[in-house]
Amino acid sequence: MQALHTAATGMAAQELNVQVISNNIANLRTTGFKKQTAAFQDLIYEHVRRVGAQASDQGTIVPVGVDIGGGVKTVGTPRSMTQGTLSQTGNDLDLAISGEGFFKILMPDGTYQYTRDGTFQMDNQGRVVTAQGNPVQPTITIPNNASGLTVNEQGQVSVTLPGSSTSTIQGQIGLTRFINKAGLQPVGSNQFTETPSSGPPQDGTANAEGYGKITQGSLEQANVDVVSEMSDLIAAQRAYEMNAKVISAADQMMQSTTALFR
Amino acid sequence: MQNALLIGLSRQMTLERQMDVIANNVANANTNGFKADHSLFEEYLNSNAREDNFIGSDRRVSYVQDRGTFRDVGQGPMEPTKNPLDMAISGNAFFAVQANGAERYTRDGKFTLSSTGQLVTSDGNLVLGTGGPITFQPTDHDINIAPDGTITVLEGTAKTDSIRGKIRMVSFDDPAKLAKLGANLYSAGSATQQADAKSTVQQGYIEKSNVNAVGEMSRMVEVMRSYTAIANLLQQQSDLHKSAIEKLADVPA
Repeated sequence: MQALHTAATGMAAQELNVQVISNNIANLRTTGFKKQTAAFQDLIYEHVRRVGAQASDQGTIVPVGVDIGGGVKTVGTPRSMTQGTLSQTGNDLDLAISGEGFFKILMPDGTYQYTRDGTFQMDNQGRVVTAQGNPVQPTITIPNNASGLTVNEQGQVSVTLPGSSTSTIQGQIGLTRFINKAGLQPVGSNQFTETPSSGPPQDGTANAEGYGKITQGSLEQANVDVVSEMSDLIAAQRAYEMNAKVISAADQMMQSTTALFR
Repeated sequence: MQNALLIGLSRQMTLERQMDVIANNVANANTNGFKADHSLFEEYLNSNAREDNFIGSDRRVSYVQDRGTFRDVGQGPMEPTKNPLDMAISGNAFFAVQANGAERYTRDGKFTLSSTGQLVTSDGNLVLGTGGPITFQPTDHDINIAPDGTITVLEGTAKTDSIRGKIRMVSFDDPAKLAKLGANLYSAGSATQQADAKSTVQQGYIEKSNVNAVGEMSRMVEVMRSYTAIANLLQQQSDLHKSAIEKLADVPA
């Protein structure tokens, strides 16, 4: 009974589908989160009757073969890198990117990670850091007696120092692009690392050459759409149930056969 | 006497295969670009063995066999995803992709870019344009795909569009001749292809599976009931034989 195994692959696929959807819903309020979708493909087909075979003793030729598929497999959980909406927070160090690019973060081990989550703070040395305390690149240090911190669309950070009426530029936050941003590896904490599939990082300047612009005092919300997630969830749940029904139907068919041997 | 048994058995074999086809459809209820299969049956006439003890010619006995699987090539529902590289075809055409060195066809338009900037499927197979594979530059942004498949982008600081290629759409004289290979791919088989100018590409949409859940469930119940009914028939046949043998072998002392 092939149907039994076919339906089992269907149940496994829908289980994963629900996992992906629930992760999206769980991260509904996560800054800079990018939703995923599960992508499925059909499995290999068994050609029970080949096209052109003898169809009957009348010498008829089969115009179409009998192809029996073996079920479904998950091919991946591609991440949708669409823009999330910006929400205003009013904090000086909350930065959002509209358009292409990621903030580049220096990790303690010397490697770089990338994020769309621009919830930055100052550490005890005055550096602009993430919530985990890792500095955004290039490292920007704010003097502790400075006031009036502004970040412009190009990512230039300027402050007003005491006794001065003009602002001085302290540095410029850069952005990094990847040719295939969907190929980045999520590592938790809203951060990603480069992979062979993402292509090498290309550092650049915000609001130039196709890089996105930086907005101060705003954060990028998750790009999860609740309505579509809920409808996907319903579809996944029903598909799971239907596969379970196929299993029980196949089971009943087998049972009726085994009942012959009393 | 044995004919009923064999006819029942031939029907059960086809029902089991029909169940497999239904199970595959249901398993692929959420597979992008999937097209449902349906079983076709036909009567299969066969003479039974000559019976010299009866007067008259042989009667022909109707068996049943599955003639083929018929593919429902109808359009699946379009789901908006907002992803610039997700594409759905409205019309009869297929996307052309290069898989294992051969040209294959698919309706699954969940595309992405490779690390070298080429347009690829979820499996990393190259998507073919009218001029071969489609490659994007590192500074390309604002990808736009016209209904005819023409891909335009803004490169770097440019204010005018650059063309990156045109999605190749292929249709077939008889889509039923396409062979399913799994992995959402079809091979052309004996079907002849031509460029399709009538179909259009919808950017930011994905064509979902065209499996009709209600239809599959009702067919499944039908298959299951027919199968168990035949099992009961075989049981009754067997009881009939048993009682016949008992009665006939009951020699009065």
